[in-house]
Amino acid sequence: MSRKTLEIYSVELDGTKDTKQTDQEDDKKYNDLDLKKSHQKEELKRELDLDDHKLTSEELEQKYGTNIITGLSSARAAEHLARDGPNTLSPPKQTPEIIKFLKQMVGGFSILLWIGAVLCWIAYGIQYVNDKSASLDSVYLGVVLALVVILTGIFAYYQEAKSTNIMASFSKMIPQEALVIRDSEKKVIPAEQLVVGDIVEIKGGDQIPADIRLLSSQGCKVDNSSLTGESEPQPRSAEFTHENPLETKNIGFYSTTCLEGTATGVVINTGDRTVIGRIASLASGVGSEKTPIATEIEHFVHIVAGVAVSVGLLFFIIAVSLKYQVLDSIIFLIGIIVANVPEGLLATVTVTLSLTAKRMAKKNCLVKNLEAVETLGSTSIICSDKTGTLTQNRMAVAHLWFDNQIFMADTSENQLNQAFDQSSGTWASLSKIIALCNRAEFRPGQENIPIMKKVVVGDASETALLKFSEVILGDVMEIRKRNRKVAEIPFNSTNKFQLSIHETEDPEDKHFLVVMKGAPERILERCSTIMINGQEQPLGKSNATAFHTAYMELGGLGERVLGFCHLYLPEDEFPESYPFDVDAMNFPTSNLCFVGLLSMIDPPRSTVPDAVAKCRSAGIKVIMVTGDHPITAKAVAKSVGVISASSETVEDIARRCSIAVEQVNKRDARAAVVTGMELKDMAPEQLDEILANYSEIVFARTSPQQKLIIVEGCQRQDAVVAVTGDGVNDSPALKKADIGIAMGIAGSDAAKNAADMVLLDDNFASIVTGVEEGRLIFDNLKKTIAYTLTKNIAELCPFLIYIIVGLPLPIGTITLLFIDLGTDIIPSIALAYEKAESDIMNRKPRHKKKDRLVNHQLAIYSYLHIGLMQALGAFLVYFTVYAQQGFWPTSLINLRVRWEKDELNDVEDSYGQEWTRYQRKYLEWTGYTAFFVGIMVQQIADLIIRKTRRNSIFQQGLFRNKVIWVGIASQIIIALILSYGLGSVTALSFTMLR
Amino acid sequence: MRRQLRSRRAPAFPYGYRYRLDDQDEVNQNYLADEEEEAEEAQVLVVPDLEEEEEKEEEERSQGQPIGNAWWQKLQIMIEYLWDPERRISLAQTGQSWSLILFIYFFFYASLAAVITLCMYMLFLTISPYMPTFTERVKTPGVMIRPFAHSLNFNFNVSEPDTWQHYVISLNGFLQGYNDSLQEEMNVDCPPGQYFIQDGNEDEDKKACQFKRSFLKNCSGLEDPTFGYATGQPCILLKMNRIVGFRPELGDPVKVSCKVQRGDEDDIRSINYYPESASFDLRYYPYYGKLTHVNYTSPLVAMHFTDVVKNQAVPVQCQLKGKGIINDVISDHFVGRVIFTLNIET
Repeated sequence: MSRKTLEIYSVELDGTKDTKQTDQEDDKKYNDLDLKKSHQKEELKRELDLDDHKLTSEELEQKYGTNIITGLSSARAAEHLARDGPNTLSPPKQTPEIIKFLKQMVGGFSILLWIGAVLCWIAYGIQYVNDKSASLDSVYLGVVLALVVILTGIFAYYQEAKSTNIMASFSKMIPQEALVIRDSEKKVIPAEQLVVGDIVEIKGGDQIPADIRLLSSQGCKVDNSSLTGESEPQPRSAEFTHENPLETKNIGFYSTTCLEGTATGVVINTGDRTVIGRIASLASGVGSEKTPIATEIEHFVHIVAGVAVSVGLLFFIIAVSLKYQVLDSIIFLIGIIVANVPEGLLATVTVTLSLTAKRMAKKNCLVKNLEAVETLGSTSIICSDKTGTLTQNRMAVAHLWFDNQIFMADTSENQLNQAFDQSSGTWASLSKIIALCNRAEFRPGQENIPIMKKVVVGDASETALLKFSEVILGDVMEIRKRNRKVAEIPFNSTNKFQLSIHETEDPEDKHFLVVMKGAPERILERCSTIMINGQEQPLGKSNATAFHTAYMELGGLGERVLGFCHLYLPEDEFPESYPFDVDAMNFPTSNLCFVGLLSMIDPPRSTVPDAVAKCRSAGIKVIMVTGDHPITAKAVAKSVGVISASSETVEDIARRCSIAVEQVNKRDARAAVVTGMELKDMAPEQLDEILANYSEIVFARTSPQQKLIIVEGCQRQDAVVAVTGDGVNDSPALKKADIGIAMGIAGSDAAKNAADMVLLDDNFASIVTGVEEGRLIFDNLKKTIAYTLTKNIAELCPFLIYIIVGLPLPIGTITLLFIDLGTDIIPSIALAYEKAESDIMNRKPRHKKKDRLVNHQLAIYSYLHIGLMQALGAFLVYFTVYAQQGFWPTSLINLRVRWEKDELNDVEDSYGQEWTRYQRKYLEWTGYTAFFVGIMVQQIADLIIRKTRRNSIFQQGLFRNKVIWVGIASQIIIALILSYGLGSVTALSFTMLR
Repeated sequence: MRRQLRSRRAPAFPYGYRYRLDDQDEVNQNYLADEEEEAEEAQVLVVPDLEEEEEKEEEERSQGQPIGNAWWQKLQIMIEYLWDPERRISLAQTGQSWSLILFIYFFFYASLAAVITLCMYMLFLTISPYMPTFTERVKTPGVMIRPFAHSLNFNFNVSEPDTWQHYVISLNGFLQGYNDSLQEEMNVDCPPGQYFIQDGNEDEDKKACQFKRSFLKNCSGLEDPTFGYATGQPCILLKMNRIVGFRPELGDPVKVSCKVQRGDEDDIRSINYYPESASFDLRYYPYYGKLTHVNYTSPLVAMHFTDVVKNQAVPVQCQLKGKGIINDVISDHFVGRVIFTLNIET
């Protein structure tokens, strides 16, 4: 059994195999695995051969060479520290900054441009060898290309670094300290110096500094929610209660918190060898998926690079066969590559993404990885953790039962809207019991804080009751003061009740009031009467049945139910001075009067149901994956709409029709609740079937490993999977998911580190905003790319025509760069500000293999329709300039060779005038400028075309996106500066136009 | 079309272990349809769809056929994609959709061509065939020399005719148009010292003034057919670039003067200019353009370097001098001046 459970936590990257495997197969399987993997696995396995929870104290002492009373000696501790290393989690491997930087330098189009630059220099080298006075033009071009690559690389690196830095603040951990017994002395030492065998003491509020085996405990409770997802505090004691080290009560886990009580324990594992440490290393072992947008951009780069290289090579061959010199042909090749590559696009995409990231950060979605911005938009499945994400991660009163009626309480974040009937006399009694039979207290000094935000000392359910009564009754402390407590029996697991005895409010009334709460069936056993409408009635059979029905119903909602009863002690038997003795129980604890039931739940966040509904209408499947119990999970799922009101599980149908579960047609059920145990025995095919066939799925009682399996299962369906989570247990799944979303407030550092996005307000609804932004950015990126691609044809045609027809070059390579990196940048960023054209939240998520960012429609529309028109338009301008200066279009054909010959200074134009080389060159530059302006002006028109893809421009509104106009203005201003301001700088080859 | 193709295919290829969310597929296709990005023709476009092919290949692979077969099957699918005889489909389009596509594209490009032609026509309406719209780029004339053979360095050895023969041929060829007989036949002998202004309509043919080869005297090649190259006294002709409407200012003819550009001033020692005035007579101006001024012959000034230093490179700069002539533009070495090197070996 122990072995089997351990399997779940072992590192097994191919999660699908994990489920198949049985204990018997283990050895065989190891042979199949490659060496490294099996080594890793075996190592982890050995460490998890944890039997410390079964050992007695003496055996423990022996095993770790320690002494329970005196602790380790300092020398011994130092020895252990040297052997095992400090008690910290080793941080995930960071890619060195320089590698990140270099990656930016060679990624995407950069490699093409590098090739271009190097070819430029080689060309110059050859020219220089042949002729020492060769012009430096190609050197300039090479330098400019290199600069472009370096600058865009630096820019992208800076953007990435900026978004990483935001996260750096998160990973800062508060240094922890631990109270340890060494050399018979209690010492406070930094937690990282703990070693195996140390005796540590923990108390309420501490974080457990390492995996410890408890030796003694006084009312110790721990919060394991970050490990298992259970939101209820788990009691801890020194007894061995379960074979499974994760379930047994005598082990406390590293990084969980002790909520109350005190305990002493011996450290059994430190650092990366702790359970948390292993999960963390599981997370770092999981390769994160390439983001969809990265795939899309890669796809786009491939298309463009393919076109560039093939057109370039084709024309290289054509040029060579047209008897151009190889050197010239290389220059053409460079020109074609430069014309084809949208140099500014990747920078634009980065800016666009970071703008969206900023916008999302304002809406409390902090994006760690810029590309994740879009991923959320293409998400088709969200695997959400329950505790803390869908729910508020606290207990709250959900239902009350008194007067034979179930009342609903407000479980929203502020609980101000308590709408149940409070006029009944029963409620008066019940509320008194709730207020009095409660040991929780507000921490002092919080007068001005809203009730729900006040910090309470006490466990979760007592806190819930305290806040509930504070909201309804007003100052509970004052009520308690008026009803002085004379005796009290705190809750313990054998009694399963809590009792206290109070004086009554009325100074005249000398009665004592006994109030009691506890497990409903135990409370009912102690009652002989029941209060209905404020009147005590004998507890008959019908009342008992009503009680059971209500109890079952509330329990069925996954709620924790408490029973409440009271008794006024007769004045004569218990006078004012009566000495109540809690141990002797010298007062009646039976034949009480039953007042009511109250049930509590970790309530869903109020914004969640709406958000889930929105996700659903956006075609996103929401799957709940939780470590909590199936009943609770299902109840929460129903209340937030993960399982919608109308759908049933197979079990529901079976119950409704009173037939066996096996007889139900599985196709009838839309919802499914799958537990971790079921999942474990499932083949991947079965999991796939479940994921494909049910639209509403809840996975309960799952381990971190299984979360990973579920995510992988979803990814096998070609879905883009988002995983939300806060606990360490979620981190492997967060990493594996296409986009991991961690909770900012409740989230553990491990989760935040593994995630791509952090929700600062822990609100599931923020995800919906994220989805919306993600979809919008995808649409807008499409527009941006279409806009950018259009001019490629206009940039490419000049070179092709130049080679084939022999016109003087219509536009220079450097001038092209001024379009790509000058006039076009701001307008293409401006498209990112475009509003959505229709309700993007009403359509299905895009299919990651079918709806590409750049599909052939877009490419053909850009290249062959608009692009061609643009090229023709620009050529028209070019011909106009030449014709007005004396060279008619017909005279330009095949003029290239004579035009470019430096010694030829009397080239005749259509009017018989003769031109020197420099005069021609100047005219050529004028041509460049004209062509440039031609493209620029048409790009303005293109920008307005690209504003919309489906709507008409008037539907979308010409002036709604102000940034577009800023973009247009910038285009014009840059062009004016280039042509009139820098017209005299010859290297830029711009001239004034008239 | 793609959709049809897929759904037809689906039952034929039972997916191996690869499960697909069928309903999701469908949903997404609907979405695709609604996404329909571009103008209608885009939908029926046919670019060989790589993705589709890849998918087919994938399906192929998942069947788990032996590798040798797989290649054959791939090829078959490829061929079927290019031409499917069963459904008469090529590149996933039927004949009908192909013709529609071609029609639409034809129509689109034809109208585009029409618009461009119209624009070009409008452009020519605004451009006069007689006078360039703008002349500021060639306001000041450039200068060229003859003989010109790809280079402005005159390297030759007097005793080796092979090294200078091509200069002679080039000059002879160039001067054919200046032959006295031809000039007398074609052009008029107009009075020297004044502009030869011909008023009248733009489109009237203009007469041209004679510039006879014999004006060049010793450099005409008439007496010395080797233009002095055989004796190491080369003739170099200087020509001012034609510019429509150019007139030397204030009735002052443009003069030519040559000197050593860098080095010893005495390296040249003496130059004879022909015509002896070393200037371009005013009667050759203005030029009215190729269309009407058909027989215009550019006036020339010949420089006869009679006693240039031998066996060393002598850089010579010849400048135009006159009012309104610019001859010191740094970026353009051919406006108002020309620089060449003489390197005569004996």
